[in-house]
Amino acid sequence: MRFLPHTERDRSRMLETIGVSGMRDLFADIPADLHIEPGSLDMPDALHEAGIIRKFTQAAEQNRHAGNTRCFLGGGTYHHFVPAVVDYVIGRGEFLTAYTPYQPEISQGTLQALFEFQTMIARLLGMEVCNASMYDAATSVAEAALMARRVTRRERVVLAGSVNPRYRTVTHNYLSRISGSSVDVPCSGFATDVDAVVEAIDGETACVIVQYPDFYGSVYDLASVRAACDAAGALMVVAFSDATAFALIEAPGSLGADICVGSGQALGIPMGYGGPQLGLFACKKKHVRQMPGRVCGMTHDARDRRGFVLTLSTREQHIRREKATSNICSNQGLMCTAAAAYMSLMGDAGLATVARRSAAALSRLVSGLPDHVRAASGPRFNETVLSFADGDSRDHFLAGAEGCDIFAGIPLERIDPKAEACHLLVATTEMIEAEDIADYHAALEAVR
Amino acid sequence: MSEHYSGTHGLQHEEPLVFERAHEESVSIHLPGVEGDLPDDLTSFARREAAGIPGLSEPETVRHFVRLSQWNHGIETGFYPLGSCTMKYNPRVNETLARLPGLAQLHPDQPEHTVQGILALLYELQEWLGEIAGLPHVTLQPAAGAQGELTGLMLIRAALAAKGEGYRTKVLVPDSAHGTNPASASLCGMETVELKSGDDGRMDIDVLKAHLDDDVAALMLTNPNTAGMFESDIVEICRLVHEAGGFVYGDGANLNALVGIAKAGDMGIDCLHINVHKTFSTPHGGGGPGGGPVVVNETLAPYLPVPRIEKGDDGYRLLHDDDQSIGPVLGSIGQSGVLLRAAAYIAAFGREHLHKIAEDAVLNANYVLARLKDAYHVPFPGLCKHECLLTDEIQNRHGIKTLDIAKRLIDLGFHPMTVYFPLIVHGAMLIEPTETESKETLDAFCEAMLEIAAASEAGDTEDMHAAPLLPIRSRLDETGAARKPILVWTEEES
Repeated sequence: MRFLPHTERDRSRMLETIGVSGMRDLFADIPADLHIEPGSLDMPDALHEAGIIRKFTQAAEQNRHAGNTRCFLGGGTYHHFVPAVVDYVIGRGEFLTAYTPYQPEISQGTLQALFEFQTMIARLLGMEVCNASMYDAATSVAEAALMARRVTRRERVVLAGSVNPRYRTVTHNYLSRISGSSVDVPCSGFATDVDAVVEAIDGETACVIVQYPDFYGSVYDLASVRAACDAAGALMVVAFSDATAFALIEAPGSLGADICVGSGQALGIPMGYGGPQLGLFACKKKHVRQMPGRVCGMTHDARDRRGFVLTLSTREQHIRREKATSNICSNQGLMCTAAAAYMSLMGDAGLATVARRSAAALSRLVSGLPDHVRAASGPRFNETVLSFADGDSRDHFLAGAEGCDIFAGIPLERIDPKAEACHLLVATTEMIEAEDIADYHAALEAVR
Repeated sequence: MSEHYSGTHGLQHEEPLVFERAHEESVSIHLPGVEGDLPDDLTSFARREAAGIPGLSEPETVRHFVRLSQWNHGIETGFYPLGSCTMKYNPRVNETLARLPGLAQLHPDQPEHTVQGILALLYELQEWLGEIAGLPHVTLQPAAGAQGELTGLMLIRAALAAKGEGYRTKVLVPDSAHGTNPASASLCGMETVELKSGDDGRMDIDVLKAHLDDDVAALMLTNPNTAGMFESDIVEICRLVHEAGGFVYGDGANLNALVGIAKAGDMGIDCLHINVHKTFSTPHGGGGPGGGPVVVNETLAPYLPVPRIEKGDDGYRLLHDDDQSIGPVLGSIGQSGVLLRAAAYIAAFGREHLHKIAEDAVLNANYVLARLKDAYHVPFPGLCKHECLLTDEIQNRHGIKTLDIAKRLIDLGFHPMTVYFPLIVHGAMLIEPTETESKETLDAFCEAMLEIAAASEAGDTEDMHAAPLLPIRSRLDETGAARKPILVWTEEES
């Protein structure tokens, strides 16, 4: 077996050193009736490397992917361009195969990359501090709700109905095991009903969670939500799906977010059929000791040279156990390094280009729609909802578009089970070219 | 200088922060996409001030991150004997496979008929994990071990609620458990009761019995436990918990000792999470991503999270809704890219070799134990499983602590073992060599450990208190970092 270095001679010498006569003796502490016959598992025979490559390649070829289609799918995962350098960096064995940097003297690479990541994310989101990742946006939102409860010592959580339904479901799921309530505020017109959200905030409210741009891509003013939070003593949690947005529109921190959570997948991470994703978590500095997850801090070594360590670990499960701020241990560390490399390559200018072109593609798509399809009104970043006369005409279009190598959108009810089955959630990125939009319009015309 | 030395010298570069490398203006990268005027209603929300993301050229970016990488130790660089972390070789072919466009460039909401290939691979992985654990019902969704724990406890609460026993919220956790166990129980709205381990490092049946009552929802148990000991009374333990109306949750962090040797389901465990980033060799990535699939028996199966991968007559599909399900715990079906690597690792061993993972892992740990047991205190003598536990009791007499030993190992060319865990012994050193290390590596590590023990015995300890002397940084001021946290860079910090 090619991953096992021992020769049979090694094994027998080692057994001799241990003082047992055979390999089975090493398992003598396991009751005999629990032993299974070696080789008796109901599994396929071992595959050599060539066989594994063939198996996976054949499986991959059965899938259609963003590389050979035009992807207008969003809903929290976006097909942005990922420079080759990003994948090279995280493919380096020193980053890829390192453990959590608990021994800082020999982990300065990971640690400095995390510190740079934290700084860049904080700047992008306009927030003061940021942790070294959560699993994904949905769990980040759930953790934000839990953190707001700790900070305010209140138990009621208000979620705008325009927050991605998956984020809401996971958050309700996390909160449903503990005391307190979490409520959804209905939305209308595929946009956030700010007045209804404000109305829902009361003196018991720990936080209100809004998404900006919201699940439907809508961009709106958060000022009245901020004011209502101030009046009620609640925290404002701002969630987001595509972090590149904040190279174009005002950052959540500037709008007064106390906690800002969302997905970093857009920052150099492939869609990966759902994972590994990257959950971002940022907050105001005054709340940092209630923040979940690992965080890297700057310090100095015994010879007064700058260095980095994981810090504030008394919040974490390995020290605080049942009183920890979260149970999170393994996070998405490598994806932080990917995002740091991506942002270094992009810079403000590159990120702004990504965001501007993502939005420009949507604008072009919407402005050329035939009249049998209606786009949601109001300002949108790179995502919107298209509405068809009925489900059949939508599905007819989707099938036709797929025939032209276009994934034209996500049936809205797939993510939002309450939605009528005639809507399509459509997203654009800089990977969408003018020709793709023309083909999209043509596919719509074809089913008029 | 020791013969074991493999530290760094010569072309070892200091590297500034990316912000200190930055140009006055960021370098523009050439990107695809369409330009066009943005609608006024959107531009009215425009960001007023740029974020301050540096923007380096491609060669500068590569050099920056390659230099940073060189300050890191990884399993590809050398031995990484972290107990309970299972740092084994990560096959390179798995990296290639996970990056195939047909697997990596898939949107999670593509129509299911366009993703049949990846669904087939993931479904097959579910079946393999179920077979290995003897617990046939599987969710791949949990993103890491800790989330697997939370998921498992949610399943147990759902099953108890269905029986009208929702009042059971007590979770028994041995004092040797990982900190995630009690933290997950709290997150699930349950109360933890800590069980004191017996003198042999194993669970004390009498202590268990004393805590089994009508409030008990579950026992969370790691087997082998974090002292590296197999819980030989496991069948009786599970029987007692079941008799009291509770469930047994298995923390699969130490599954590496049992793969292909014995099944959790046969022991009576109801529910187990599997850390694929440990047992099945997906890279740790400097802290993640991991993967924590949960495998369960018949009783808990109805409550598994959605979406679930199902196999029907016309292929695979995702089941999004199920009334009995606890619902989703993650925003997607799981860490697919990680799970694919795990599947590739299992496929390479297959039916005939899978048990050799556990055999060589246990052989290696016992070999290290045999070589070190005279020089270091062994708190729980006897066979260990995939990891062995030592303490600093002997060295402490000479003023040398576990931390000193760990840091001195760095100067001698080895990543330290897990230190000060488990908490049930003073000055713990938990060593897990894994199956992918050669005898030569283990011997070199043991020599280094023996050299440290000998130096300690001889009072030659100056290097140890100051260690490590050779890496790019010496001991860091962790207290200062926590007291006045600097978590982002500002120009004033330079």
